[in-house]
Amino acid sequence: MRPTPVNDRRAERARRTRPAVVVLHQVCPDNRYCLREIYAGMEEEGVPFGVEEAQTGSAAELAHAAAHASTLDVGVGVDAAGNICVHHAKLPPDAPALTGPPQHARSLGHNAARLVTGIPFKNVAQ
Amino acid sequence: MTLVVGVDIGNSTTEACAAEIGEDGAIRYLSEALTRTSGVKGTTENVAGVVDVVRRALTAAGRECGELDAVLVNEATPVISGLAMETITETIITESTMIGHNPETPGGVGLGMGSTVPFADLPGCVAGSAVICVIGAGVDFEDAAAGINAATARGVKVTGAVVHADDANLIANRLRHPIPIVDEVTLVEKVPLDMPAAVEVAEQGHAIRTLSNSYGIATVFELDAEQTRVIAPVARALVGNRSAVVVRTPAGDVTDRRIPAGSLTLIGEKTRHTVTMDAGAAHIMETARRVAPLADAVGEPGTHVGGMLARVRDTMSELTAMPVGEVRIRDVLAADTFVPQRVTGGLAGEFALENAVALAAMVRTSKGPMKLLAAELRDALGVDVLIAGVEADMAVLGALTTPGTDRPVAILDLGGGSTDAAVAADGTDIHSVHMAGAGDLVTKLIDSELGLDDLDLAEEIKKFPLAKAESFFHLRLEDGTVRFFDDPLPADTFARVVVLTDTGLHPIPTRHGVERIRQVRREAKRRVFVVNALRALERVAPGGNIRQIDFVVALGGSALDFEIPDMIADSLAEYGIVCGTGNVRGCQGPRNAVATGLVAGYALSTTYAGPVAVGTQSCAPRP
Repeated sequence: MRPTPVNDRRAERARRTRPAVVVLHQVCPDNRYCLREIYAGMEEEGVPFGVEEAQTGSAAELAHAAAHASTLDVGVGVDAAGNICVHHAKLPPDAPALTGPPQHARSLGHNAARLVTGIPFKNVAQ
Repeated sequence: MTLVVGVDIGNSTTEACAAEIGEDGAIRYLSEALTRTSGVKGTTENVAGVVDVVRRALTAAGRECGELDAVLVNEATPVISGLAMETITETIITESTMIGHNPETPGGVGLGMGSTVPFADLPGCVAGSAVICVIGAGVDFEDAAAGINAATARGVKVTGAVVHADDANLIANRLRHPIPIVDEVTLVEKVPLDMPAAVEVAEQGHAIRTLSNSYGIATVFELDAEQTRVIAPVARALVGNRSAVVVRTPAGDVTDRRIPAGSLTLIGEKTRHTVTMDAGAAHIMETARRVAPLADAVGEPGTHVGGMLARVRDTMSELTAMPVGEVRIRDVLAADTFVPQRVTGGLAGEFALENAVALAAMVRTSKGPMKLLAAELRDALGVDVLIAGVEADMAVLGALTTPGTDRPVAILDLGGGSTDAAVAADGTDIHSVHMAGAGDLVTKLIDSELGLDDLDLAEEIKKFPLAKAESFFHLRLEDGTVRFFDDPLPADTFARVVVLTDTGLHPIPTRHGVERIRQVRREAKRRVFVVNALRALERVAPGGNIRQIDFVVALGGSALDFEIPDMIADSLAEYGIVCGTGNVRGCQGPRNAVATGLVAGYALSTTYAGPVAVGTQSCAPRP
């Protein structure tokens, strides 16, 4: 389910070595706000992230693939409907760390970052 | 052969010990059982629990109810303890001048000064004026950053910002000229506007330097000596924070008020003393020592302490059908503590640690409705029920079955509601005392000091060790060792401090670290159990001299705790006493002492064998 990135070796190498959370999302115009909120959550926590696009896959599948692509072992997956899943590379594929609807995008962004920094999760309900 | 069951009705558990006693007085212990006490100890509500525990002990021994010759119960005197917490200081912010909360991610670095302006009014500010921008709820971070950038471009000096949402870094990252930003200010609409204010954010890993210093605030706001005195509590409240906002309002100040706490009158047999609660625990205990033995205690009406003592009295009078006026408080234990309390007038849900005194009080009567209880038990079980002895005496007899003990021995019964001690010297008489304050008070202290507001969790923190979930697959235990798991830990435990209970990991929803929680737990145990152990032994020791006791055996539910017995043993080491957790009959640990003692006492009383050691099963004569 891994997407085929652009064949740019230098960019690819830089992407692999830079420590970052990977966000893997299906391309869908409705996801714009949701993605922006996820990025905002991670930026507020001060954790770097990279973004990649995918054609198919559920949020959990994308998140798991993203976690494996991430040097920090943390990935975020967003499906076409905007459902969000946060995954850790060391967790089993069917047991993601966190999942949530688009309304919780900001908190999930925070929590994806906190999965890296080792700070207790923010309450998703807010 | 006689088949008997000794039953100990305790405050929280009812224990039984089944045994056969031969013609020569030799005891053969068959089985034991344990259940929760039904109702308050020493009342007829206990029947259900006793019947249950007797049946279970007999089943475990493979015997029938019909074979039973007698059930022995202890003279269970109801001991009721009550707890009260009296806060003696209070921080009040009048006219909201300080935001002292510690958001996890403030933005920017530095100190900004200016007058407070709402975000909507920013375009109307004149060029050259210094302002602090107050950004309310619902303003998007990109709009906020664009607005501030536009104002700065016009020549308005935006020197800092106060934000409602968790957006500080997002805004700071989008500014052309970074400014200090404090976020997550929940009541941002209450920040006074058009007032001089200062915003300070320290670098990561640092604490603020200017606003936590009284003279720093004085410099910022050009205060004179008198005004600096008024602002001093603000500086003190901000010490150690990474970010802070101080708004100077003409009439506003933060007061650090001492609440007029109630007073407690301790009435001894010969003298009486009144002591105010705000004098602190040490002073209260010193006074209690001076009036000892305590005959009664009265709290000032209309205060917490008055209410608590009245509550204890009422409960006791209900149980024993004694008039309220005749119920006497026989012991009190005070412990200094602190309570995190929401700051009155705070804007971001700030908490301040306030001093408090926790008080446990205990009532005891010698006339519990035991006869009634025995009669009801007789009907329920259909066998003879004997009230076979005073609890403390029986506990000593039971404790002496611990291998390696001998008279003069003292027992420390560490329970839930009270700490009891008894001493048996070479003679036959046993001297005992009941002290207020035990496991329940420890739970209460842990709960309030950590601000949990969850007594069940506090109870678990008391009973089980801590760990921190460092990843999804491993825990670092409080002693520094690491434990790995095959299955991932639940997400709600991630990066949190957890209690390793027997039913799994329970996360503690606070920002306290392992070290802090551990320290609170150990301090609470020390202030209650170690203080009470020394106090109790002093009272029962011959001549008040603890050194006269050779052996101390710790019994009761709290003796099963993983650190309390060690803490007591440590503190008694300097008196040259052998102290340890009891091991009744060499196999029961600190449990079942009274039940075993009842059987041993019964065996003694029914046989004529001269001086007999009750301690061992072999009944070797004592020299």
